[in-house]
Amino acid sequence: MGEVLLEQLINGLMMGSVYVLVALGMVLIYGVMHVVNFAHGVLFTLGGYLGYFFYHRVFDSYPLAIVLAVLSLAVIGVLLERGVFRPLTGNLRNQVIASLGLILFLENLVVALWGPNALQWKVATTEHWVQLGELRFSLHHLGIIVVTLLLVTALGLFLKYTRFGTAIRATSQSQEAAIVVGIPVRTVQWSSFALGCMLAGVGGALVGPLFLVFPQMGDVPLIKGLAGILLGGMGSVPGAVIGGMILGVTESVSTLFLPTDYRDSIAFMMMVAILLLRPQGLFGQRMRGED
Amino acid sequence: MKTSWKLLAAALAGSLCLPLSAQTPAAAAKVQIGVVTALTGPMAAPGVFQMNGFKLAAEELNAAGGITVGGRKYQVELKVYDTRANPSEGASAMQRLATVDKVPVVLGELSSGVAAAIAPIAQDYALPLILTVPTGPNLTEQSNPFLFRVNANNLQLNQALADFVSKQGWSPISFIAWNNDAGRGGVTGIKELMPAATKDAYVGYFNVGEVDFASHVSNIRNTKSQAVMLFMDEEPGSLAIKQIRDAGLKVQLVGTLAMGSDRFLKRLDAQRLEGMVQYNAFPPNADQPRIKSFSQRYKAKFGEEAHGFAAQSYDGLMVAVAAMQAAGTVSNGKAIRDALAKIDHTGVIGRIKFDGKGQASPAVYVTQWCANGSRRILYPDSAKAGCGAG
Repeated sequence: MGEVLLEQLINGLMMGSVYVLVALGMVLIYGVMHVVNFAHGVLFTLGGYLGYFFYHRVFDSYPLAIVLAVLSLAVIGVLLERGVFRPLTGNLRNQVIASLGLILFLENLVVALWGPNALQWKVATTEHWVQLGELRFSLHHLGIIVVTLLLVTALGLFLKYTRFGTAIRATSQSQEAAIVVGIPVRTVQWSSFALGCMLAGVGGALVGPLFLVFPQMGDVPLIKGLAGILLGGMGSVPGAVIGGMILGVTESVSTLFLPTDYRDSIAFMMMVAILLLRPQGLFGQRMRGED
Repeated sequence: MKTSWKLLAAALAGSLCLPLSAQTPAAAAKVQIGVVTALTGPMAAPGVFQMNGFKLAAEELNAAGGITVGGRKYQVELKVYDTRANPSEGASAMQRLATVDKVPVVLGELSSGVAAAIAPIAQDYALPLILTVPTGPNLTEQSNPFLFRVNANNLQLNQALADFVSKQGWSPISFIAWNNDAGRGGVTGIKELMPAATKDAYVGYFNVGEVDFASHVSNIRNTKSQAVMLFMDEEPGSLAIKQIRDAGLKVQLVGTLAMGSDRFLKRLDAQRLEGMVQYNAFPPNADQPRIKSFSQRYKAKFGEEAHGFAAQSYDGLMVAVAAMQAAGTVSNGKAIRDALAKIDHTGVIGRIKFDGKGQASPAVYVTQWCANGSRRILYPDSAKAGCGAG
């Protein structure tokens, strides 16, 4: 039993890492722009498809494909912020609706460009294994956990110790105060949006070779990422990380006790429980007047 | 006098021309045959096989000059609707075929869920529906006189598989299946047919579109299963098998119809698949003239190995045409239905004769993947063949 538990723990950390990447992107965007970006799932999907594209059409190198996918997502992020979200500044509701509309647009764009069938993306790391006693994991599996830890650490250091990172934190605390102290709020907004998109893109490019690259691949990570940030607290970066990980591990371990078809419902049950019992999440703060 | 001879000669020449011009048709008459299948969405991959079977049959019929029904010649045209394996889209497609396109017969559907939604519509509009892939056994238990099924259903498939598996003595056995009619039906059905000595270990269900099988893998490991049965199609099948083998589990794999094709082999590799058995409606390399011929023609047209879904669909269209010819009509659904009920047709998959419930009884085989990526036939004993002839 202990062995199987360890197996599910590691699986949980891996899926949790994917949720963390999505959640981090969403929390950055939410913190700075107060918009829950429902299009985050399709951005994740785009990361997968662009990674696949760069790997097969341009260079045969997986790390390079990820980097190029991430850079493309940054560009797409900037374009989306300027073209879709900035014109709607001040109208939060329409920004949310716009993000819902983006789901339809981007998902069908993917189908139009790459077809409706799932694509198989074979990379070297999925063909090498690490043996842990009787358990065996592909290098890719463990690589996702490691890459996420590195990114989370880098992001944490960036937000805490760099000028721009501090500007982002300031803007998410209070936009008006940030303007008053001379922070370029516009710049912070589009760069946070781009950063969020880049994180989603990394997620997609990492998960693509593990399973399949298909148009709906971002749908589930979106919901799980959302559950993660609800659990961790809507504006909190450490909350997003811990929330995502808790969700991933809980889901995986639960399948040893509950029928596996209930696995997805864990995330939903968690969301309902949090909203009922502690709406600000684990690390969020109850703000007066905030909706 | 001269002019009258000229007139007579002209009249004679004119009258000789007339029968010739009456023989060249103004335009070839067409009969539209309805097709519902999944061309996009999560079932798009097997949908291609089904569509190819219909296309090949239609092309061959038209290349031979079309079909002759009731003394007239017709070109076969397929009116195709993409249902995306979605029951409501299937239902609206079926409605259109019945009321707008007014086709005489409908073929296809891929998923049992959609087939269940469109069968009552067939009955309402007296439009015969011939299924060529869905395996849900309940479909032919609804006393629907307008529903026919060319392919074997889960009960028939399970019978053959259980017969084979029980002889191997594998125990305990785990199951991973789709969380729908076909998957749940398959598991329930086969469990009933297994001998009492075979213990059930883990039964896991997953939703169509899910890609992560890690929890199932852990549970299979936990129950120390000797074999695992996978009731799913090729996309999830390739993921499940990859994840099972990558986790170091050496269980005996038992798969479905969809996991016996060359296309499936390309999704994985011979190393991961070696030893896996699956039930198969159509071993494309079997040493049977009707199978060999179909495989050659399919490969020539589509550049890949033939698959049971394509063979079943090809036969479905041929049976529909045979029924129209027997009934002498390309528009009377009821007459075509009556002809189908009596038909005795030899197709690529064997003899097609529908019983009182509209179900045919084609042969079911069990094939196994060899180390070199070819297949052998293990069941029935009469059809046993070595690697390469499966």
